[in-house]
Amino acid sequence: MRRLLLALALALAAVAGLLPARARTLTPAETDRVVRTVDERQRNAGDWKALAYMEAKEKDKTDVVYELVVYRRDKDQRVMFLFLEPRSEQGKGYLRIDKNLWFYDPSVGRWERRTERERIGGTDTRRGDLDESRLAEEYVATWKGDERLGAFQVHRIALEANPGVDVAFPRLELWVDQATGNVLKRQEFALSGRLMRTSYYPKWKKVWSESKKADVWYAEEMRFYDEIEKANQTMVIIKSIDLRPLDPNLFTKAWLESKSR
Amino acid sequence: MLSTDLRIAVRNLARHTRRNLFLAAAVAGVTALLVLLAGLTVGMRESMLQSASTLMTGHVNIAGFYKITSGTAAPVVSDWEKAWEVAKPLVPELVYAAPRGRGWAKAVSETGSMDLVLAGVEIAREPGFREVVQVLEGRLDDLARPNCILLFEDQAKRLGVRAGDAITLSAPTTRGMNNTADVQVVAVARSIGLLSAFNAFVSAETLNQLYRLKATTTGAVQLYLRDAAASAAVAARLRGALQQAGYRVMDPDPQPYWQKLMLKVNSEDWTGQKLDITTWEDEMSFLSWIVTAVSWLGGILVTVLMVIVAVGIVNTLAIAIRERTREIGTLRAIGMQRVQVLRLTLLEAFLLGLGGAAAGVAVGAVVAAAVNAARIELPESLQYFLLQQNLHLTVRPGQALLFVAFVAALTTLAAIWPALHAARLRPITAMHHVG
Repeated sequence: MRRLLLALALALAAVAGLLPARARTLTPAETDRVVRTVDERQRNAGDWKALAYMEAKEKDKTDVVYELVVYRRDKDQRVMFLFLEPRSEQGKGYLRIDKNLWFYDPSVGRWERRTERERIGGTDTRRGDLDESRLAEEYVATWKGDERLGAFQVHRIALEANPGVDVAFPRLELWVDQATGNVLKRQEFALSGRLMRTSYYPKWKKVWSESKKADVWYAEEMRFYDEIEKANQTMVIIKSIDLRPLDPNLFTKAWLESKSR
Repeated sequence: MLSTDLRIAVRNLARHTRRNLFLAAAVAGVTALLVLLAGLTVGMRESMLQSASTLMTGHVNIAGFYKITSGTAAPVVSDWEKAWEVAKPLVPELVYAAPRGRGWAKAVSETGSMDLVLAGVEIAREPGFREVVQVLEGRLDDLARPNCILLFEDQAKRLGVRAGDAITLSAPTTRGMNNTADVQVVAVARSIGLLSAFNAFVSAETLNQLYRLKATTTGAVQLYLRDAAASAAVAARLRGALQQAGYRVMDPDPQPYWQKLMLKVNSEDWTGQKLDITTWEDEMSFLSWIVTAVSWLGGILVTVLMVIVAVGIVNTLAIAIRERTREIGTLRAIGMQRVQVLRLTLLEAFLLGLGGAAAGVAVGAVVAAAVNAARIELPESLQYFLLQQNLHLTVRPGQALLFVAFVAALTTLAAIWPALHAARLRPITAMHHVG
């Protein structure tokens, strides 16, 4: 009898061990911490220069591949994009100064003020995709559950834009890798609630930052899928990162103009 | 004396029927061409006014821009009814006025997508709309319902949709947040040239929802006048009155609102509301080059033809005078003065020009009427540039009279040299001339 009870207890213990542990609810503070970690891992205290390739596929149109350099000075939220390829786009660029995004076209030699939510080069990429991550500052996070995304165990977190903050999408959902804290998937919704874009971040890399005295993580590959026009998609690949200090006068209209001469 | 000269001139013209008929026919042909080319230009302008004032603009617009930040502008007028209360008593020429929302969105269907300029209409307030837009499928009245759209046939073809199908409109709000609206195609209308290629209509409520605007906000109050020619005067009047009422009013600038939005307003450092009073000509200035180009092409063609005809007149009159040398010599011998000979020759040319031009105007008017009656549909590529679906020529009586006077004067001027030659003949030499 004692043997039988022991066997039963062992069997129950074995079955219990095989069952997945019940997902633990993240508290608002823990959820907020996950989002802050996402931002913090990508934050860089100093300057940032990245060479990026952007491949845009649109229905009934020829695929376009852009090569551009992204310059960032995160301490005063300055961003500049300079297009290198294709030839027709050479010298074009975006410059963000004091929450104003300017677009420069050397063929007409004119600066135009654009919305910060502008699609970069008409693709599905937006300024925010290549800029510093400020999710904790711009959104309020709510934990929606823990689940599996392919081979990864992830936190699924919903984000609602803070009132008065101008963002391209008022609502987001993030799938954050529990092991690393990297975002693996992101969905963006319109004001109407309709899903507009799904993004995947399959490759993350880190680089040592002297100014931060820590590693800075960045998504080496980003894939954006338009959920309204299903056939449209854009892939961004970050080819190289340089965190050395940039020329102090770089974030000026004159500098960008000089690059097209 | 003039009646005698006139009698002689008519008799001389009648004596050389074949030659003069040939010359008059040439003059008539050029005048008819002149009438038809002018008819095409005026027709284009009229079509442009008609389609533009339905699709894009009123004769006068109380429009404007609102800037949340200096870099974020929207083509809207907030509390439009207040501005309209100020303006309304100052427009006795008014037939009706209606608010129109202004926007832009990407329309996406199952099979295609395209950018559309959206107008938010209150269909019950726009009687002129029904007169121009010909619905091929569906019902225009359904446009009063929310989440409904009217497309033109080319747009429907491109999106692969018919009345009853649904499409998604996607646009950023005035604050730059993305928004969408699922709308049903309730009507497909016949295309009306270039403008209907990119304009579509939704209810004002739908547009306001898409852009998250208040119900008291619109894109422009469109004013329709009894006479579109009064537009500039009315616009100037309203500009002054609204400024006096405390509104910030933009300086006149003959550009369409979307050009101002893209190239001007976003670069200026101001925030809040500014009104912009525009006329239909301002809003359509981006198309005026087509009318100008057609006018120039027509002008060049007619000038070349006129030069050819003028050379023909000089030549024909020179031959006529050579043939009539003995006759002129006899007239001079019996007492006709050099001035009288000159006057007689010029009078003949004038009568020839007048008759030919009058016949030309008549022919031009008949051809124009026949073309209009036949409702000739233009090829699609031409529709875009001539701003018409069916070829329409407008012959204005005043303009036709001007052409007659112009051609008669030109013919008379062309006759000066042969007339001077005739007047200079010595009687004795002329009478001995063997022709």
